[in-house]
Amino acid sequence: MTTALEQAIQLVLSGDDQLVNIISVTLQMSIPSSVISLLLGVPLGVLLAFCSFRGKEVLVILNRTLMGLPPVVCGLLCYMLFSGVGPFRHFRLMYTIPLMVIAQVILITPIVIGNMESFAQRITPAVRETAHGLGLGRGRIFLLLISETRYQVFSTYLLGFARSIAEVGAVSMVGGAIAYKTNVMTTAIMNYTNRGDFTLGVALGIILLAMSLVLNLTVSLIQGRLSR
Amino acid sequence: MTIAPFRKSYAGATALDFPGAPLPAGQTCAVIGANGSGKSTLAKVTAGVTACGQPQVLSPPVSVGYLPQHSYPFQMTVRANLMLNAPRRNDPARQRADMLLERLEIAHLSEQKAHHLSGGETARMVLARLLMRRYDLLILDEPTAAMDIRSTALTEQLVADYQAETGCGVLWITHSLKQAVRIADTVLFLCRGRLAEAGPAERLLTAPQTSELRQFLDFYGV
Repeated sequence: MTTALEQAIQLVLSGDDQLVNIISVTLQMSIPSSVISLLLGVPLGVLLAFCSFRGKEVLVILNRTLMGLPPVVCGLLCYMLFSGVGPFRHFRLMYTIPLMVIAQVILITPIVIGNMESFAQRITPAVRETAHGLGLGRGRIFLLLISETRYQVFSTYLLGFARSIAEVGAVSMVGGAIAYKTNVMTTAIMNYTNRGDFTLGVALGIILLAMSLVLNLTVSLIQGRLSR
Repeated sequence: MTIAPFRKSYAGATALDFPGAPLPAGQTCAVIGANGSGKSTLAKVTAGVTACGQPQVLSPPVSVGYLPQHSYPFQMTVRANLMLNAPRRNDPARQRADMLLERLEIAHLSEQKAHHLSGGETARMVLARLLMRRYDLLILDEPTAAMDIRSTALTEQLVADYQAETGCGVLWITHSLKQAVRIADTVLFLCRGRLAEAGPAERLLTAPQTSELRQFLDFYGV
């Protein structure tokens, strides 16, 4: 264990070509997927909290169900849609980063919607009553509500990014964990562990944790500065 | 203007069965009553924030400025909160914001984030925000509940000046009988979801006609 850790640290410090590629692919997948999910999920979540309509409860329950969507089911769905027999085969996205991003967006967007909806739900009555009392229109009240949830957006992004970077099932199914192409940190750790090569696995694990730590610290700093 | 008769129920239970009342322009009407008597329901339905089954309870329809009991301080600076309700973002609006903050003695807090203010400061800020615009009717739901004596006096004077400037009517909900006497031309006394008594402030508090109001005044030692 100690030897593996020492070798892993040396590998990180040496800037190993394979290691750098795996990190690069991971970021190419995680950043776009979490940002797209955020752009889709924040307005949808706030809208769900803001609007009253028939069937709203059904939508909320459906979204909560999708929040727990097993990644392998999502992977299977994408596989069926984009593989050689699927309706979207002409896009030729199987075993590419864009399809891994699509799978991640399907997994993360419900989480973003649910997180934003439950937060916005708590402040909507007070914001609505106050803004209505001032005589503001519905459009302006909705924009105010989005603005009032802005600090929550940071922690929601962290949640989405963490889910994205830690995901294995869907990305291995649609990405295939192809070396120097679609192999991300989690699939690489799994593959190296299966082969008994712990050094690269431990190195990747250290980097994964370090990236999560740096991101958390950065977001906490920004959040603290903005709310001051 | 007048408030039309209406009935408001929550989950089948009647919260307020209101027979209607006149709200003369330029006058202040105080609403008093125990907790759960329907005061806030009257304010919300009259302001149009809560529906009661009829499209309009105010006749004729007028512009209403409503200050809820727990008005929300938006997460921006105090000045930005006021400018949010400015009809236009121009110099007169900025001067008006300065004047209101000055009058309520919170000008030194103008660049602070509103969600960092104390309860009393927040209460003054949300009132100043409401008064940025001209309304035909002001509905204030316990605006001074979180304020000390000095801030309460400043608030009462500011609302009186706003009323003199705009000629608006004021529906002021309060738990303080002394305040009702100070500010109101007429008083509505609500008891268990209905209007038990209404009339000039002095008469109501010195010569109550109903046993409910007598009990209420006895309880407050009036």
